[in-house]
Amino acid sequence: MRSRDSRLTIAGRELSGLRAEKTILLAIGIQLFIAAFSSFLVVGLVSMYDPGSLGGAEVEVAGAGDAVSDLERAASEVDGASVTRYEDAGEARLAFDRNAADAVVVANRNDDGGISVVVTAPDATVETTVIVVQLRDLLRTYERQERADRAAYLSESPLPLPDRTGTSPYFTFTYTVLIPVLVFLPVFISGSLVVDSITEELDEGTFELLRVAPVTLGEIVDGKALAAVAIAPGQALLWLLLLRANGTPVANVPSILVLMTALTALVVALALAISALAPDRRAAQFLYSIGVLVLFGGATAMAGGPANAVARLAIDSADATTTALVVAYVGLAAVAYAGVRTIVAENGFET
Amino acid sequence: MIDRLQRILRVARWEAARAGGGVDRRTLLAALALLLVAGGVLGGGLAAGVVGLDVDRDVYRVAVDGDSPYTDAVEEAPALTGVPVDDAVLGDTADLVVFDGTRSGTVETVTVRASDTPKGEAAAAEFREAVEAHNERLMAAEENRTAAFPITVALQYVGRTSGLDEGSTLGGGDGGSDAGSGEGGDGSGDGDGSDGDSADGSDGTGETGGDGTAEGGDGGLAVPSIGGGAFRADTVGSPGAISPPFPFVSLLLAFVFLVPMNFLIQAYGSSVLDERTNRRGEPLLVTPLSPVDIVAGKTLPYVAVAALVTALIAAAVGGGALSVVAVLPVAMAFLGATFVGAMFARSFKELTFVTVGVSVLLTTYAFVPAIFTNVTPVALVSPLTLVVFDLQGEAVGLGEILFSTGPMTVGAALLFGLGLGVYREEDMFAQKPVGRKFLDALAVRLRSVGEAGTGSLRSRSGLRALAPVAVLTACTIPFVFVAELLAVALLFALPVTVSIPVLLVTIAFIEEVAKSVHLYAGFERDAFARTDRVAVAVGVASAVGFFLAEKATAVVQAVGLTELYVGRAAFGSVAGAEGLSPLAVAVLFFAPLLLHGFATTLAAVGASRNRTYYVLTLALATLIHAAYNFGVVRLYA
Repeated sequence: MRSRDSRLTIAGRELSGLRAEKTILLAIGIQLFIAAFSSFLVVGLVSMYDPGSLGGAEVEVAGAGDAVSDLERAASEVDGASVTRYEDAGEARLAFDRNAADAVVVANRNDDGGISVVVTAPDATVETTVIVVQLRDLLRTYERQERADRAAYLSESPLPLPDRTGTSPYFTFTYTVLIPVLVFLPVFISGSLVVDSITEELDEGTFELLRVAPVTLGEIVDGKALAAVAIAPGQALLWLLLLRANGTPVANVPSILVLMTALTALVVALALAISALAPDRRAAQFLYSIGVLVLFGGATAMAGGPANAVARLAIDSADATTTALVVAYVGLAAVAYAGVRTIVAENGFET
Repeated sequence: MIDRLQRILRVARWEAARAGGGVDRRTLLAALALLLVAGGVLGGGLAAGVVGLDVDRDVYRVAVDGDSPYTDAVEEAPALTGVPVDDAVLGDTADLVVFDGTRSGTVETVTVRASDTPKGEAAAAEFREAVEAHNERLMAAEENRTAAFPITVALQYVGRTSGLDEGSTLGGGDGGSDAGSGEGGDGSGDGDGSDGDSADGSDGTGETGGDGTAEGGDGGLAVPSIGGGAFRADTVGSPGAISPPFPFVSLLLAFVFLVPMNFLIQAYGSSVLDERTNRRGEPLLVTPLSPVDIVAGKTLPYVAVAALVTALIAAAVGGGALSVVAVLPVAMAFLGATFVGAMFARSFKELTFVTVGVSVLLTTYAFVPAIFTNVTPVALVSPLTLVVFDLQGEAVGLGEILFSTGPMTVGAALLFGLGLGVYREEDMFAQKPVGRKFLDALAVRLRSVGEAGTGSLRSRSGLRALAPVAVLTACTIPFVFVAELLAVALLFALPVTVSIPVLLVTIAFIEEVAKSVHLYAGFERDAFARTDRVAVAVGVASAVGFFLAEKATAVVQAVGLTELYVGRAAFGSVAGAEGLSPLAVAVLFFAPLLLHGFATTLAAVGASRNRTYYVLTLALATLIHAAYNFGVVRLYA
């Protein structure tokens, strides 16, 4: 009973230190900034590269050449582009230079039965990207129609496409990038906190004071880890609730929190190990950054990495594998923390 | 001067020796071992085929019949996962069900039923893309090339103004400029498209990747190989290979320049804070070295490392001297902000958060505008845009270089100045909250006003004492602009009806704080006498400083920032006013001065009382300022 109290006391001391410095507010501010900015980024990028999402962006194409009627047929199927026919390539080009058209498309049949298309798009203006995206749409539709006409010469004809549906381009991004980032930021912060807390005590000599108190080294470690792990799920929950308030429903919140808490414990174990080994704070933080980078870089790249697991949980596409993955992470974290704690409790910190 | 340089170098040598000891050989070996393990695991994973940066792997569940030809399309798309069609429940175990109308062996129609949620719609769009990609792969394997790819496209970019000459094609004549896009030995002299080809990497979501691998086998075909190739102006390709101009690879490489900064500022921040814990820096302070010498000497090794690393990266990714010139101010800003953070922080924990904050803010500030490199000249507010230009091999003028690097350099210098203000015994070793230290740092720069009675205000020395007030306000301009740009960027996503009012108030608030916070510091630290006369005097001085500095930055207009509607709201007071009578222009020109004068004096009077009064008057000043801005926007609109 006594040992449990002392752990809680140490954890409480850690937390009150954080509260006094208001660092946790700064941490939340940073995360809010990242969230806001990444949304800005994706809205900006998507509206540039998927102009359809803005609605009403229509590209005026000056068409010429002997296959221009087929081009017009394709344009009638595409929302974002309309083709105006010109006598020859020179006239079309003139229209382009007079700003009467956004782009020039000259389509000519060549000798071997294909069609060669020369596209002229304006150079480096704000609209270039939008125009090129729309032109690609138009030309792909054109290609599809021409392929259909030549289906007899193909050994396998292309599969018909389902109808186009309206969708928010932010949807996938929100679940596969934004939510994992927001869920994992507190994890890194907690680990960093442990590194700082321990190296600071070692540096200022207060660790020795703590050692003369009637607590074991293991209990000190537990207390510090407890405080660091305890503050992580709250932050993640805050983000998930905020997203829900903004109309982005997040499924499987408990599982996500369990997963991220397990990861926090894992990272805290890593932080403990590093602060036990590294000679000072600078080296410890350096090693910790690299370690976390390696850990998460590697884990994200692997199939079934934590980022993908969170995305699938949040979007409600989780299956038995995802659940097994969560359990596996919890087990891994428990083993890692217990291992590191035992070693540290026996050998102490290097000073 | 030489003497001073020697002193700085001496501190620099000492710092370098100490820092070298801090991160010892064992630490470096451990870091190296970690990276090697990671590299080995990644390499092994790549070889085994289980590695891929698909964060969207299997997020949408598509119910499709096992015999359907669409099964292949679903399996090939990383974001889609197939579920058996028999026991699929729409919205529960599947997001999309595919029905194909198969008649006599060939699929003639296809219909999909998606669950009636945003997720269902997204799944349907993803499925359509997967089928398109699948078709591209099918066609790539066809014998009859003309039937499979009936259309070959040549895309060229031409400037409208400069007419029809060849040289005006985008990026023309720089065939070999884009290092890192992975294609070697393409010697076509006037190949276009440092853009086009680098963009190919960006949409490797499905179709192009599959296309590229399929192409690998049969050389000499009209369809360009996408995997490592370029879509050049004088090459032809199928429509699927068209990529919008987006300097993806250059951008990624520009980001590489920022990565080492994060490690550098960790070491630097630790070193500065180390001085402050356990009064370790005290011996240095009592030497004849001035704080400027100490800080310059301590910073020098880190600047040298930054320059060295940047030069190495530039050499590795194919950048030139311009890349180094552009990245150095960014490095200085990173170090400057970390210096201030380390001077204000009370503990390592606080420093960690400060460092993370600095990293995030500066990285976004440098990186995000660079994304819009080819889109709008505003991108030049970030020096990284210069790096992207450099990597693309585009010519950059001296004016652009100055515009891009100037503000960052000035900002870094001001940050160092701010931090130096508290590089003294009573602040360095004291555990003061960040806010109080900030006020200290500001108050250090002020001279006392009105202490010898109000009469001194009229004398020359009284006026001279007001000069630092105006200068300090002027110094906030770069930060005000950064804050306003960030506000514009953050609110950009909101609809205009919401973003404009919020923006107007936010900007008014930023400017009012910038004009009055040091006045508050002056009153709190007893630099100013707490009388209304003094308050009015310093308020007017601050307003004049802000007005002059703001007018001096009318450069902003030159790069077309005011073209953006939102930008116009932010910088409306410096925008031109064509078609108005000279009197109106004069009134419009000096109206901001009146506004600033009135609002700041109001806040100054509040600041001279106490904190509560200051907060209240600041809010009032913000409202007045916002109302004025609103009037200006209405006038222009």
